This record gives sequence, C-alpha cells and structure tokens, in this order.
Amino acid sequence: MPNTILIVDDESESPIVNAVKRRLDQEGWNTQIIKPEGDRSIGDEFEALTLYTIEEKTPDGVLLDIRLGEYREDQFKGLDILQKIVNRHPKLPVLMFTQYAQGPDRETAVRGSLQWDAPVDFIDKLASPEEVVLRLRRLIGSTPDRIPINNYLYLDTNTKTVFVTMDETPRLIEDINGVKFDIFEELASTWYRSPGELVPFSRLERYFEGEEARGSLRVRIREIKVSLGKALGISLGASDLIINVRDQGYRLVPPKM
Amino acid sequence: MVACCGLIILILSPVLGQRSSDYLWGIEPLAYIATIMLLTSLLLMCLSYYIPRILERSVESANIDRRTTEKWGLLTQQYFELFHHDLGRPLRRILGKERELQLTFRAAKTEIHPEVQGLLDEIEIQTPSFRLMVSNIQVLVQLESPTVPTIQPVEPSQLIRRIVDRYTPLAAEASKEITWWSEPAEFGLVYSDGAAIEHILTNLVDNTVRYADEHIEIQLTKNLTDFFIRVWDDGPGIAPYYTQHIFDRGWTPEVARIEEKTSSGLGLFIASTLAKKYGGDLTVESVVEPDIDHHTAFLLSLPIKGPD
Repeated sequence: MPNTILIVDDESESPIVNAVKRRLDQEGWNTQIIKPEGDRSIGDEFEALTLYTIEEKTPDGVLLDIRLGEYREDQFKGLDILQKIVNRHPKLPVLMFTQYAQGPDRETAVRGSLQWDAPVDFIDKLASPEEVVLRLRRLIGSTPDRIPINNYLYLDTNTKTVFVTMDETPRLIEDINGVKFDIFEELASTWYRSPGELVPFSRLERYFEGEEARGSLRVRIREIKVSLGKALGISLGASDLIINVRDQGYRLVPPKM
Repeated sequence: MVACCGLIILILSPVLGQRSSDYLWGIEPLAYIATIMLLTSLLLMCLSYYIPRILERSVESANIDRRTTEKWGLLTQQYFELFHHDLGRPLRRILGKERELQLTFRAAKTEIHPEVQGLLDEIEIQTPSFRLMVSNIQVLVQLESPTVPTIQPVEPSQLIRRIVDRYTPLAAEASKEITWWSEPAEFGLVYSDGAAIEHILTNLVDNTVRYADEHIEIQLTKNLTDFFIRVWDDGPGIAPYYTQHIFDRGWTPEVARIEEKTSSGLGLFIASTLAKKYGGDLTVESVVEPDIDHHTAFLLSLPIKGPD
C-alpha cells in the first residue's frame, strides 16, 4: 500500500488525533489507525497488532503514542513497541507522540539509546497538525511527485513540469524547463520539507559551469519569476516568491493570492 | 616517642639538673621542656584521633544532604511530570476541537465569521506560549536539582528546523517571516544536550516572533572549538540600560517601568543559565529606534565537543 502512515494511539477517536489524521489525509497520505479488539492488557494488544500490521502493510511511517492505555504498566508501552520496531525495521520512520516537553527518565533513556541518524523523532502531542506533517515529511525523506506551492501552483517532479491551476484544467508553464526547473525544484523541495530554510548559493550554482555561476543563477531566477508572475497574473518583486537572503542564498516564499 | 622522651626527662630532671649544674634552678628548665613535650605530644595524639572522625562525620552528613536534595529534586520532577500530563489533557481537548473546527470549515470552504476565526486563531497562537511556559517550569525544576548534563551527538540544524516548523505559522499570522541557514550548509554533529539547545532556542525565537517587525533570521555557524546560533530580528531594539538586566531572573522591561508584568521574566534567565551549564554563553546586542538599522540579536555559543 503506497504512502501509508500507521497511527497507533489509544485516543485515536480524540479530536487532537482526528485533526492530525485529517491533515495527513489532506496531504495525500493513506492513514491507517490501529484499533485492537480484545480483553487482554490493552498495551499488549496494541503491540501485537502494530507489529503485525507493519509486517503486512509495510507502511511509509508510523505515528506512535508513548502512553497506550490507562494501566500503569502501559504508561510507556509505546517505547517498548518502538524498540521492537527499531530492531526489526531499522529504516522505518517513527514519529513518537509524547506528552512530556523534555521527557521522563525512561523516554530520555530511549532517546539516548537510539542512533543519532535513526529515523525516529519525538513530538509534543500539543504540536499543530502542520508541525506533525512537516516532521513526518522530513523523517520519511522522499519528496512527492507533486509539490503544491499554493492553491494555484504546483510542480510535477516526474515530468519536470510546473502547472498553474487558476482555471479548471491545469495549465503548463512551458518556459520553466531544464536548468530553470532544476533550480525551482531545489527551492520548492527545500521549502516543502523545511519552510524558512535557505538554499545556499553553493547548492544552486552547481547547475552552472564557469566563473560566472552566480550571475547566471541570478538571471535564471529572474526568468523563473517573470514566467511564474505572467502565468499567475501578478507582478513578482524582489521580495516575492524567490528571495535573496543576505547574499547567502535563495529561499522560496509561496505567493499570497 | 616525643611523649616518652618528655616523661623520661621529667622524671630524671632532678638528677640531670643537679649533675649539669650545682644550682637548683638548673632542674627547672629541663622540667619545663619535658612537660611541654609531654603535653604537646598528648595533644597531637588526641587531635590525630578525633579530627579524622569529625571530618568523616561531616562528609557523611554532606552525602546525606546531597542524597536528600537529589531525592527531593527527583520527586519534584516526577510530580511535575504528572502535573504536566494532567494539565495537558484539558488543553489537548480544547485544541483538538478547535483544530477539527478549522479543518471542517476549510474543507467545506465555508465563510467563517471574523470573530469566530479570531477566537480559533487565538487558541492556536497561545498554544506554543503555553507549551513553553510549562516547559520553562520543568527546566527550572531540573536546573535547581543537582543533575549531571546529558551529552550526546546532536545535529543543531535539525533542532533549528523543528523550532522554525513550530513558529513559522505563528509568524505568518502576524505577517512576519522566519529565515534560517547554516554555514557550512552541511553543518554536521556537535556534542551537547539537544533538549537544552532546543529549549534555549525556543525561548529566543518565541521572544523574537513577538518583537520583530517583519523579519526573523537564524544563523548557525562554527569555528574550530565552538558553534554559534544567532537569532536576529528587525524589531525596535532594546535600550542599553535594559540589556544589562535582560538575563536576570524574573526581570522584564515592565519591572523597570514599574508596570504590570506581561511575562514571567524566566525565559531568558533559563536560556542563559542553560547556556552556561553546558559550557557556553548567551549574549545580546541591540540597536534601538530611530536608528535605521534597529535590531536585536541574541548570540548563543556552545562548545562543539561539549562542556569540560
């Protein structure tokens, strides 16, 4: 099953988990909620069903709560399940829902025992659905085939094309291709995973050869902005869409429309 | 040995004194010297017996005190974690309902009454402040407890990304922008306490988002021994007579103006204390309006290889 996120939370019907689920659905993920049915200790049920579902469905990521149930022994059941997932599927991204800002001793110990590059991260349960989505995007690491910049603009990374969706049928922006598409894709994928992060000149200049790489890059950026401005029917100034920050690099700022 | 010599001389002093001198006064100095030797030796023997025992007892009582403080610190932390969990429950319900509403309205493309939208936004805006406040109290409890710093490999750029994730929507709501970068672009690992760095930065960015005019910049750099995180904003700046107190516990500009406090004044104090605990420092530099280059920049410096 492609693009599947497993949600393991004993409060799966709660509004806060619901809001995250809805946001993930909007994002295009297939969310599957683990709901055990049985009389045994609820934590054990969650563990068995989660591990089984991971084997069966091979999801892209897991959203796992630390506390699974009200029993005292299940207070940290999520951490036990995490250790088992890490042992059996060391590359499966897991985002742990925690209710502690800095974590009680046991959670801190688990954090410490993980490899620094393990695809496991912890997030406060009060985090906004946007924060959860961004964290998952980075943990999973892959960029989708379609990167939506705003409601009217998206990139198709498969066909290396940019579309405007102001009319009913998406309209291709023909001018943005080749190196211009590569530059725009670099900026868009960085923004998609980490809004606010600047793309340094060094990463963008590799598309050009010769001494005038910086100048060529500036020209291409200007051309991209002109093409997109024309397609969107707006005028894009120096501080719109792609901005130069302190002569360090460029950053994408989705246009407000 | 000295005591024995002293005793022998004291006993023999009448004989020795009379032999060495024909006069009686010759006996006296010998008797005095012998008595002094005897008494000094006895005193030293007593001291050598009692002092180690007294010292041992004081070390033991210090250990008991330390264990009691540690136990108290641990208990306070545990109580606070319970309190934090219970405090979070109603807030999660309120927030969850608010977020569901927002998503429902968005999905239905319904026009929301501005006052309702304002109310929903306010709940969302106050959440990070609440998270930070609870977290500040927790860190304060930890700082008061004699705990050993946890040093692990940390990727500082990941920590900055997380904080930017959290504050970007809030900044956008107030028409402000957060930009961040690292030099070099592939920054790598440092040895420190990730939770402490994240906490320091959260306090700095929370402040900055509040006071910036339009732009907030976070820059991550390093030299051979230290790494630096500079949090800059284009706000009105902080007057020099305020900057010297800005890291004091409980101090806020309202304290100086004898006005009602709008914050606890704990955030920057905690941030500065944490920076020092991990072998670094936190400083501030500011240019105030009407200077055209008005800004405030906080500079966090920490050792790459962890505290000594």
